[in-house]
Amino acid sequence: MSCSSVDLKGYFLGEVARAEKNSVEDHVRACQSCREELDRLKLTDAALRSLVEEEAPQRIAFVSDKVFEPRWYETIWRSGPAMGFASAMLLAAAILVHGFSVNGPARPVATPTVNTAQIEQRIEREVNNRLDAVVAKQRQQTAEMLDAAEKRFESKRQTDLAIVQQAAQYYEKQTARLMVAVNDQQKAGQ
Amino acid sequence: MIFREVEDRDLIAKARRGHVDAYNVLVSRWEKRVFNYLLRLVSNREDAMDLSQDVFLKAYQNLKKLEDPAKFPGWLFRIAHNEAFSLLRKNRPEGEIAGELRSGESSGRMFPIELNLAIQSALGLLSDDQREAVLLKVYQGFKFEEMAEILSCPVSTVKSRLYTALDLLKQTLAPVNMGGVE
Repeated sequence: MSCSSVDLKGYFLGEVARAEKNSVEDHVRACQSCREELDRLKLTDAALRSLVEEEAPQRIAFVSDKVFEPRWYETIWRSGPAMGFASAMLLAAAILVHGFSVNGPARPVATPTVNTAQIEQRIEREVNNRLDAVVAKQRQQTAEMLDAAEKRFESKRQTDLAIVQQAAQYYEKQTARLMVAVNDQQKAGQ
Repeated sequence: MIFREVEDRDLIAKARRGHVDAYNVLVSRWEKRVFNYLLRLVSNREDAMDLSQDVFLKAYQNLKKLEDPAKFPGWLFRIAHNEAFSLLRKNRPEGEIAGELRSGESSGRMFPIELNLAIQSALGLLSDDQREAVLLKVYQGFKFEEMAEILSCPVSTVKSRLYTALDLLKQTLAPVNMGGVE
């Protein structure tokens, strides 16, 4: 098998059939220049793979995202007409129920007192709960991000180290070959 | 990998039935890969982000046309390829040397480390077609046949682009400094 008929790049990229793979490996074992070529391909590939993947600057959002949708109570709370309508409906229902359930002369009805302090307390409690949940989630996400960043950094460090080692080996081999060639030339000259 | 594929297929099926949440999960899984592919192809962060949004929007709109959910990755990158080249054609007048680094975009590049810069500039010296072949093979791990489908060209063209690109990259990233020694 001659060098020109060897699909070295296809072999390196894992795109040759098993039979061809074996014959390429046999050829590479016997051919110095193809071994060097394969070394260079490995070095190129390692360098390319060391390129850091970027995080997308913002989350892609193009369909309704429930995370950002207001909660049902927020929707009602923020909507004046809806709040008014709901109040009117409640009042009408109360009158209706009262009309059906109460017989006999109308008795003086005690005006229901609205305990605003209690409502405020409940709202505050609810808000605090939600806030705590969000803060806890944020803390967890930050911790996860830090952890991921540390892992990425370590992985990058290892990759860089591997590239440097590969490069060093490559140049060491080349130096050795050069030395052999110089010696041969000197011997030939003598 | 098998589990991942099954899960993606399930998400696609749900998204087709109108489950927006399922599609959002699918987006979160693929957005980084698509964004990086586009970023390295168009070399501009803002463009890459805009294109990523367009890609996922088009994918959502056309999800029902995807015949085999197992082919989702190739199908998604085919949309990304079309979007990217549509922008590249618009931005780059005919006759301009393909692959030439565009000036004035350094602020859009974001690889501060020297090695990254060297790789980025080596990739920038390739033509768009060659660079895309490297991105799809080296970074996304597609097979030649899948790449041919994504790029709508024969496998022989894919190989030719990729092999030429590797030869050019080799000259920059793994040069032979001691030529003549056999």
